[in-house]
Amino acid sequence: MSIVSKLSPIIIVEDSDEDFDTVVQAVRKAGIVAEVQRATTGGECLDLLRGASAIRPAVVLMDLNTPGTDGREALAAIKGDDALKLFPIVVFSTSADPRDVVYCYVAGANAYHVKPVRYPDHLQLVIDILTYWLGRVALPDPGRTKS
Amino acid sequence: MTDSTIQTETPTPWDGQPYSIKRHGLTLTNCDSEPVQTPGCVQAHGALLVLDPADLTVLQASDNSEALLGHPPEELLGRPVVAVLGPDGEARLRAFLASEPTDRNPLYVLTLPDRGVVPPLDVTVHTIDGVAVVEFEATGRTDAGEPDYYALVKKTVNRLQTADTLRQFCDIAADEVRTLTGLDRVMVYKFHADGHGEVFAESKRADLDPWLGLHYPAGDIPKPARDVFTKIWVRPTPDVDGGLAEMVPLVNPETGQPLTMTHCALRGASIMYTEYLKNMKVTAGLTMPIRRAEDLWGLIACHHYAGPKFVPYQVRAACEFLAQVVSLQYKAAEDREHFAYRLKLDGVHQQLVAQAAHEGGLSAMTDGAPVLLDGMAAGGAALYHSDRWWRVGTTPTEPELEALGEWLVGRPEFTSATRPLYATDALGRDYPPGTAFADVASGVLAFPLSRTNRNLMLWFRPETIHTIHWGGNPHEKPSVTGPYGPRLTPRASFELFAESVRGRSLPWMAVEVDAAARLRLLIMELVVSRAERLADLNTDLARSNDELDAFAYVASHDLKEPLRGIHKYAHQLLEDAAVADEEHRKKLEGLMRLTVRMDGLLDSLLHFSRVGRAALQLEETDLDEVLAEAVEMVGSRTADGRSEVIVPRPLPHVRCDRVRCREILVNLLSNALKYTDQKEKRIEVGFIDRNEAQPRGRPDGAAGHAIFYVKDNGIGIPAKHHGQVFKMFKRLHGRDEYGGGTGAGLTIVKRLVERHRGQVWLDSAPGAGTTFYFTLPCQEGA
Repeated sequence: MSIVSKLSPIIIVEDSDEDFDTVVQAVRKAGIVAEVQRATTGGECLDLLRGASAIRPAVVLMDLNTPGTDGREALAAIKGDDALKLFPIVVFSTSADPRDVVYCYVAGANAYHVKPVRYPDHLQLVIDILTYWLGRVALPDPGRTKS
Repeated sequence: MTDSTIQTETPTPWDGQPYSIKRHGLTLTNCDSEPVQTPGCVQAHGALLVLDPADLTVLQASDNSEALLGHPPEELLGRPVVAVLGPDGEARLRAFLASEPTDRNPLYVLTLPDRGVVPPLDVTVHTIDGVAVVEFEATGRTDAGEPDYYALVKKTVNRLQTADTLRQFCDIAADEVRTLTGLDRVMVYKFHADGHGEVFAESKRADLDPWLGLHYPAGDIPKPARDVFTKIWVRPTPDVDGGLAEMVPLVNPETGQPLTMTHCALRGASIMYTEYLKNMKVTAGLTMPIRRAEDLWGLIACHHYAGPKFVPYQVRAACEFLAQVVSLQYKAAEDREHFAYRLKLDGVHQQLVAQAAHEGGLSAMTDGAPVLLDGMAAGGAALYHSDRWWRVGTTPTEPELEALGEWLVGRPEFTSATRPLYATDALGRDYPPGTAFADVASGVLAFPLSRTNRNLMLWFRPETIHTIHWGGNPHEKPSVTGPYGPRLTPRASFELFAESVRGRSLPWMAVEVDAAARLRLLIMELVVSRAERLADLNTDLARSNDELDAFAYVASHDLKEPLRGIHKYAHQLLEDAAVADEEHRKKLEGLMRLTVRMDGLLDSLLHFSRVGRAALQLEETDLDEVLAEAVEMVGSRTADGRSEVIVPRPLPHVRCDRVRCREILVNLLSNALKYTDQKEKRIEVGFIDRNEAQPRGRPDGAAGHAIFYVKDNGIGIPAKHHGQVFKMFKRLHGRDEYGGGTGAGLTIVKRLVERHRGQVWLDSAPGAGTTFYFTLPCQEGA
């Protein structure tokens, strides 16, 4: 199986090297041909999306608890920004706290997943997420920013 | 008609005739009707002439005039007084009357010299009702010369000013009067609010029995006698056995009125009085009032036992002056005393409240130090607080207090917005059942501690008769019965008085009632400040809960991330062909198992911390539906067809948090399914209504609520572990026995039940299955 994401990159917001590596493994196992851009904080993610050389990602995989500007703030900033709000943001967090889940959906997250502790489960979940968002979901043209 | 004529509604024995002690004094049946101010007689140790002030002719003379003045009345009546006083004396009297303020004010005029048989006589004069009253009295003077009365009085006044307390003040006054007069016993006799008197201070000849502290019935000093003492400053009775001399004629021949003798030193004493004195072996007396205006506070009463005792005019004048000084200072001394008492009461009460604040309960007031009784002069005190009585000292019994408390709460006094306080010195009058315990609580001072419930504070005062030493008690003081029978003895008057004070206590002083009212305010403040403190604590608690929440969240996240990493590396090592060694593989598998388990523990911890805080969402809930959902959630374990959940009768609808109640049931059900070795797992879920037979082991707090239960036929729990099953992460079995688990399920159940203000407990024995019971009181009222 191979998914070509029409040259649109994917952004992984992840401060943990182990967890980022798991995503990289998943991308490879899923046969996804796309540039993977890493941000270690929510702030870096916003930098990638804004500015002259802004990336227009096919999907953003967002950890919530990052140093500095965290995932929650970045999520809220993206969904509150008309130029960015159409990018699908998939939250991928350690937290199963119902308050986090509710917060993220209210802020406009497109999905919320809890990271499993077992590595095989973890890996499979990332594969499933990426396969779904890059292969199964109809999304607006990345160039489109207005509804 | 004079202002001192006694008006009575019932006919008097001398009806229509002028009164004379000699003629009518023994026919009296009631001391209070005796016309003591117009007795018609003088004490026989002196003589009295009534003169027409215009020409100084004699209108009336006492019938002993011959012995003392050398002329019988018939020689004097209608004639000028010159026959007695001589021309110089008459001239002096005339000049004196013209220049001195003699109206109702006896003043010394001159001394008639010794005329052989008759001793020198002091002559005093005052005017009243248009006549001049001239009194002749033995001087009692010896040749030793006059003491310096001015110096004596000055010294006395100086000493009085050094007194700190009322008692000290009265002690000094008694001492000084005895020094001044030479009488055997001087008492300061203090009237109480109910009219009875107490020997409050005493100075006496060393060999006499002390009467200090004895109380005497109100009737011992009849009202007419008291009335006289609001008009005069000194009352001498120099010879109790001296007899009486009657006025001739008995009434003023010009006006037909008896002589008003209120201001006469020689005024004839009532036989009642002299008998009373004789029965106490008193031979001479002198009495001075302590008063302001018409208010008689007490008497300075002097007794002499060694025969007649003439206190000359000069000394009496000094005594009179002293009585006025004492009267003026008495009020100030009493005020100081009340102020000191007030300070003491407030001091004790403030300590009590501080103590209650420190120990966090009002009960300290009845068993700590100080206690309620250390301030107020009372026999006992009680406190109704925290649903029980706290007693100290002598009080009615608890059932009696119970009924009294109920009655008090309904008193109109208790509804006062500013000062809800009830005080009585005769409880039986307001509350007839109170007569049953009048001996300990004739007096009650009470106030409510709160408006909403029955919390009360009460002080009790015993019946007066039990609290004081009565002078009439024959064991306290010897008395003899005179020729007129026992009526005129302190003993008899005591018996009369005892009836009148039955069911009465000493009245509560204004200073005491005020102190009680202030104590109530202090307690209210304490209650309010405790409520504020509680609010502060709640705020603190909320803050620390939030902090704990944040901590639990961060901890779980930050701990989970490395855990995931460890699991990942172990997994990758295991995948790696390099680890071929079976032992190493096992260790790596163990490592991964441990990380999974730790992950489960962190989840439980996080869940538990959330369970305690999130607000309940109470709604009318069908517990049957909730149970059905719960059974479905644990369904994977019941799907084997060998477990059944029995519900003997439909569960009720209750008001509760639906999701949390489901969690309670899920936890209890999965517990029941887990801890069993039965092939046929049988679980019964039901309830016991509040009016049905209650299960054994039910805690008291669960009484009155519907009890729900989940009963299994599992392995059971030994009694010694019953207390531990609800502890966080406490497992009774090996980690992987009975399906494993983190050991948080029952802890969460307990927390959830408690959030519903309920209780959870169990009944179990090894092999006999386990029944978990719980209540959900939140449904009521919440």
